[in-house]
Amino acid sequence: MDAGLLEQMLIGALLALSVYLPLRCGQLSLATPGFFAIGGTVAALLSTRIPSFAGTGATSPLPALLLEMTLGGLLAALLALAIGGTVLRLRGIYLAIATIALVEILRVITLNLSFTGGALGIFGIPQPFATASGYAGFTLVLLALVCWLCARLEQLRLGRAMAAIRDDELAAACVGIDTAQVKLQAFVLSALLAGLTGVLAAHFLNSWNAKVGSFDASITTLAFVVFGGSRTWLGPVIGGLVLTALPELLRPVGDLRLIVFGLVILLGPVLFPQGLITPQRLQGLGPWVAGLGQQLRGRVPGPWRR
Amino acid sequence: MSTVPLLEAVPLREAVPLLQVEGLSCRFGGLLALNNVSLAVRQGEIFGLIGPNGAGKTTLFNVISALTPPSAGRVLWRGALIPASRPDQLSRLGLARTFQNLRLFDSLSVRDNVLVGLHRFAASPLAAGLLGSATVRRRQRELEQRALELLALVGLEDQAQLPASGLPYGERRRLELARALATEPQLLLLDEPAAGMNPAEKDDLCGLIRTIRNRFELTVMIIEHHVPLMMRLCDRLAVLNFGERIALGSPAAVRQDPRVIEAYLGSSR
Ligand SMILES: Nc1ncnc2c1ncn2[C@@H]1O[C@H](COP(=O)(O)OP(=O)(O)OP(=O)(O)O)[C@@H](O)[C@H]1O
Ligand SMILES: [Mg+2]
Repeated sequence: MDAGLLEQMLIGALLALSVYLPLRCGQLSLATPGFFAIGGTVAALLSTRIPSFAGTGATSPLPALLLEMTLGGLLAALLALAIGGTVLRLRGIYLAIATIALVEILRVITLNLSFTGGALGIFGIPQPFATASGYAGFTLVLLALVCWLCARLEQLRLGRAMAAIRDDELAAACVGIDTAQVKLQAFVLSALLAGLTGVLAAHFLNSWNAKVGSFDASITTLAFVVFGGSRTWLGPVIGGLVLTALPELLRPVGDLRLIVFGLVILLGPVLFPQGLITPQRLQGLGPWVAGLGQQLRGRVPGPWRR
Repeated sequence: MSTVPLLEAVPLREAVPLLQVEGLSCRFGGLLALNNVSLAVRQGEIFGLIGPNGAGKTTLFNVISALTPPSAGRVLWRGALIPASRPDQLSRLGLARTFQNLRLFDSLSVRDNVLVGLHRFAASPLAAGLLGSATVRRRQRELEQRALELLALVGLEDQAQLPASGLPYGERRRLELARALATEPQLLLLDEPAAGMNPAEKDDLCGLIRTIRNRFELTVMIIEHHVPLMMRLCDRLAVLNFGERIALGSPAAVRQDPRVIEAYLGSSR
């Protein structure tokens, strides 16, 4: 497979996980592309304006990339922290609309600031990796790490509290869960992930502009999760990988591909209302996959795992 | 059937009541669901709340547990106004409840429902938790052990791994009880815990409620329609009718109260 496409798919999977995190506690936030755009803008600015970030060799230094990811992620997380308390009071479709508005506001701001390059954006972003395979390898490691953390999270107090809130927020509050706090944590983690993914994407795409964080992107990333399933971390990963690859793989069928793509997005939820991947379906795939699931869920010994 | 031994089993401390409800009213539009209700629940007692359908019993629980704001009146905890205004804060203060129309976490396993109830005791730094440090793992094992003990108490230890959604009705009720107990409450509000159970199951539940009251030194407030059962179980009872507290006292006194008889048997009105 083309390493460039693979890199796009991996980025899709990371963004899908960013949508998944708030959804795990029942919060339909579509802000991911906004935080993604922030991360990318941070990367584009730092690496094109500050010589030590660009480096002197053929490729920009890896530590610079890691530092950008930290800063891009943190900036996105800080914004999430600042607005989360207010925004997360909204529920359901109202939260979705408010977060779409956030994405639009960020887009318009980026469009109108001179130092972000206006409508054209920022070009010639230095490359930390010489080849697409280099990017794909690095992103694969990152995705594996994030998946592992998500799997661990499901076993932890925070993960269980998130699931409880999704099932019944009122009952969760009555057993002592500070629901506002948990929702905020999920929102901030989601922003952090989207932000650092944006850093990677900006380098990979070589240029960055306001169009990256658009309403379209909100819907696409949501489709990843709806298609893949929002019950386990594996669902969004599969959704992100498949739905990013599909339009490219369908290129041979020409203009028909958009129709096929649309049909897949439409039929996915019709055929699999819970998404492609559900815990039950994973169990149904047999002991091997179930065993893998247990492995991935972390090896906490206990009497119930006998 | 005698209520005397039960009364003796609970030493009535003269200290401040655990919970006081003073002049509570709750209005929904034109409907006065609670009308100037006052009562006090003493430490360690099983306090019953009975009354016809729509009398305002659940509404009283909702006001006490900060799910519904009252239109007037106040709730005192150990004689003081509760500074907490959210259900999760009240939970930390020592209040737990079950719901008339069961509210379990259906996507979680039976065991995990109880673990969610242990939320407060599971605090660990997120990083240490994610990395699974030795301390965090040991703590998690302890909590999981505790969850299983609570499940054993309500007779659900064998179902620990099942999804909560798959349990039959009676077991769901018991799971909700285990989840409430997990929060280590001082006051437990039970809203029709015996609903849908047959007489034998109801008796078992009564025994269980007494056991947990003694074992955990709890104070219990319980709503239940089956009056004979309530007469046997409760140390004291309050009777609500159309949002008004029409009687309060020992089962023997309440049973003879003319207003209660009228409310239950109906009148010429
Ligand atoms: N959120 C609400 N909005 C409007 N009316 C309500 C609300 N909650 C309760 N009521 C009304 O308040 C009255 C008291 O209801 P409540 O549920 O407290 O009764 P109850 O004593 O628990 O009855 P039951 O034995 O049937 O459970 C009823 O008439 C009910 O319809
Ligand atoms: Mg009721």
